[in-house]
Amino acid sequence: MARSEILVGVEVGTSKVCAVVAESMRNEDLRILGAGLVPSKGVRKGEVVDLKLATECLHDALSKAEMNSNIEIDDVAVAITGSHIASFTNRGGITIPEGYMAIDEQALRDVAIKAREVSLPDDHTFLHSIIQHYYVDNQPGVLNPLGLIGRRLEADVHIIHGAKARVQNTLRCVDSQEVKIEEVVSGGLASSHAVLNDNQREMGALLIDIGGGVSDYIVFTEGVVNKSGVLAVGGDHVNNDISLGLRIPLTRAEKLKIEEGSALIGQSLPGEKITLKNDAGFSGKEIEREMLNTIIHARIEEMFTLIHKQVMAGISVHELRAGVFLTGGCSLLRGIREVAESVFDLPVHLAHDTGVSGPTPILNNPVYSTAIGVARFVQTRRAEEGDPSPIRTVWDQMKKLFGMK
Amino acid sequence: MQTFPKSEIPRAAFPARILGIGNAGTHLADQLSMSAGADCEVLAMNTDAQSLFASVTSRKSTLGAKATRGLGAGGDPEVGYEAAQESIEEIRFAVEGASTVILLAGLGGGTGSGAIPTAAAAAREAGAFVLAIVTMPFSFEGRRRDRQATEALEALTGQAHAVIRFDNDRMADLTSPLGGIGETFQASDALLTDCVTSFLEMLSGRGPIPMNLGNLLTVLRDGSSCALFGRGASQSDNRAHEAIERALKSPLLDRGRMLDDAEAVVAHVSGPPSLSYAETSAIMQELGRHVPEDARLFLSVSLEDSPASPVTVTIFGSYAEQPASRSVERPMPARTTQPVARTSAAPVPPVAPKPNLNPKQADTPSETDQPARPEADPPHEAPREAPHDPSPDVRTQPASDDFLHPSPPGRLFGEDGTIQPPPAEPPTATPTPVPPPPQKRTSRVQPSAAPAKKPATPKAHQETLQFEPAARGRFDKSEPTIVEGEDLDVPTYMRRGHKL
Repeated sequence: MARSEILVGVEVGTSKVCAVVAESMRNEDLRILGAGLVPSKGVRKGEVVDLKLATECLHDALSKAEMNSNIEIDDVAVAITGSHIASFTNRGGITIPEGYMAIDEQALRDVAIKAREVSLPDDHTFLHSIIQHYYVDNQPGVLNPLGLIGRRLEADVHIIHGAKARVQNTLRCVDSQEVKIEEVVSGGLASSHAVLNDNQREMGALLIDIGGGVSDYIVFTEGVVNKSGVLAVGGDHVNNDISLGLRIPLTRAEKLKIEEGSALIGQSLPGEKITLKNDAGFSGKEIEREMLNTIIHARIEEMFTLIHKQVMAGISVHELRAGVFLTGGCSLLRGIREVAESVFDLPVHLAHDTGVSGPTPILNNPVYSTAIGVARFVQTRRAEEGDPSPIRTVWDQMKKLFGMK
Repeated sequence: MQTFPKSEIPRAAFPARILGIGNAGTHLADQLSMSAGADCEVLAMNTDAQSLFASVTSRKSTLGAKATRGLGAGGDPEVGYEAAQESIEEIRFAVEGASTVILLAGLGGGTGSGAIPTAAAAAREAGAFVLAIVTMPFSFEGRRRDRQATEALEALTGQAHAVIRFDNDRMADLTSPLGGIGETFQASDALLTDCVTSFLEMLSGRGPIPMNLGNLLTVLRDGSSCALFGRGASQSDNRAHEAIERALKSPLLDRGRMLDDAEAVVAHVSGPPSLSYAETSAIMQELGRHVPEDARLFLSVSLEDSPASPVTVTIFGSYAEQPASRSVERPMPARTTQPVARTSAAPVPPVAPKPNLNPKQADTPSETDQPARPEADPPHEAPREAPHDPSPDVRTQPASDDFLHPSPPGRLFGEDGTIQPPPAEPPTATPTPVPPPPQKRTSRVQPSAAPAKKPATPKAHQETLQFEPAARGRFDKSEPTIVEGEDLDVPTYMRRGHKL
């Protein structure tokens, strides 16, 4: 099997580290060969805070994935997230030199470079620059200007960037595993590759990947990325809230959230109680179900409200006809869809990964969507470039990050 | 005397003159003249010729060359006072023509404690706005030093327009308990020089919301009770939040907790031209969460020319005196005379100098420059031209005014800075000119006890105080997630006040 057909997506997340090994199919589908998932340590809010612990977890996850897929992992693509990731849209343009000539590929490359010419904060590095639209002689909304006639070509580029040092931390973790880093992908963008299909992007969709430490969101309108961002609130916050509110340990709080919790209020009977099971010296404490749900509801609603505020500035509801898609581990929370519906006033779907086949039942688990998305991102990238093995060494990657040539 | 190039810059260029008095003062003056930030004239004055010789300030003069023969004051404020009297002409010359004079001294010793009231009076007489920045001794230095410091502070309060007090005990928190002592002192020096430079910046900065002396006076008016200072700077992406976080982390603010008792707070934000409204408002919102509802909050914003300059947040504030360590000693001064008389001639002076000073210098200005009713001119541009008048002691009745003008309408952007003292002060104010020392003492006791609303404020805030440390739980040690001025790591139901 040619190496280039194997794709490995890695996510070093706040609650889990996972690696997905996939194979690229002829029909552009992705077949999952195996995956490794390990509860994460040393990661807070999507960023590595203890390199040693995180590296150990990653090592275990990669070993598991190798074992499950029976493939030796060489090149990996890594998802990056964290509150430091930010994005904006920039427009740049060039004048086609010899009068009215057809726009050729060189012009497209030039305009892409021109539009990328922005100054990021000193300590930041580019993660992605995605062309949104072209303008030919100020005519907006040109999707593919190749061959069109025009004097001036402009492009809107969505630029996603992150703090160099923090990106490095995650990469160092992977680097120590004797694998090559093929690609670095922002978490939100990666998830969108796993969850949204072309049709949904065309119709306009908001994807929210609610992870353990952070929530990545990304908005597609008319088939292209319109906005993206990271809100450093995730499932961990819900656990923390429950733990503080009910005065129970964090692990207990998480278990309670998964087993009993719901983001909906007013659904339980008045005075309905949950008895905390009597394990490990924990006396059978009773708590009110409504109290638990109130805590969860407040957090989830606030999270959606904040994202709504950031996303909906400048975008109308009609541009998001496909609606809102929720993925990530926390999207498994009961009632989360209803809360999202009430906040966004849009149809809300709990995403399950589409267009992926494979032997394992992991595919319907939103926990994997980022890692799968990373693999898919690389698949798309390779297809676009036409080069079967655009393998960059770690060294190249580092050089790129530091802006060296 | 060694001369440094700085002194060649024409006088008019200096917005302020910095005068370090005594050993600690000289040391600080050295730090300031070395740090690039302070482009103002720095002078050092000491009774100890040797320490002065080692100083790198541009101008220095020995105080009381005859009285002490350049050997220092030996920890006796009386000697310091005598020395200052002897060299009064030199002091006058040093402060002559300056619009703002900043006095630096460590209280509790001889020269600083003895000479700083005289210097303050001289500067005031010369028509300058006088700000004194002083440190109080460590508690382990003994009661005696503490008392001398407290008394000197009282005398100083009558002379300077504003006094910012740094408690050395609190400065120890700047570094870890196991940190080297040099490190601790360095950190505390840095904080003090920060304080001076940011003060100058605030007054000289140009921007959409300038700070005037009137506003500053409102906050610093309480003299000795002003001990809140914090400063933070950041250049990162999240610069506004980081800057305010760092400012609040100042040990003198106790992670913002000290602000719970604040009466008045000045926040100065300076930044590059790209400083946005949203950032400023985020800073003020964050600050607002720490400051009690009824406190007066003044904002000033200045913009630097360089786009690369960081966003800097500086907080000055005064708080209602709590019955803390110092106030325990407060009753003591009333009795000082007895122990003092018992011990020897030396201790007597600390009490004595003040009576001398106060009537002489405090009264003269207020009587000469200030017509019969100082309260008649509250406008705040006033202090500049007639810096003598806003003497905290002289201002009288306007207590009622105080309630009319102040904060409620413009908490954020403040009114034009009412200097009137809070209700507590007036009683002291009227009698002050006649017998200062005992009166002052009463005045200092009163503020803590008298204002009925004060005790209420801390109580109301104690609740949040308890909340804070626990509220972030597992995120306690991680970088806070602040969106729209709210710390998202704190459970939503707590912030929204949901009852469980």
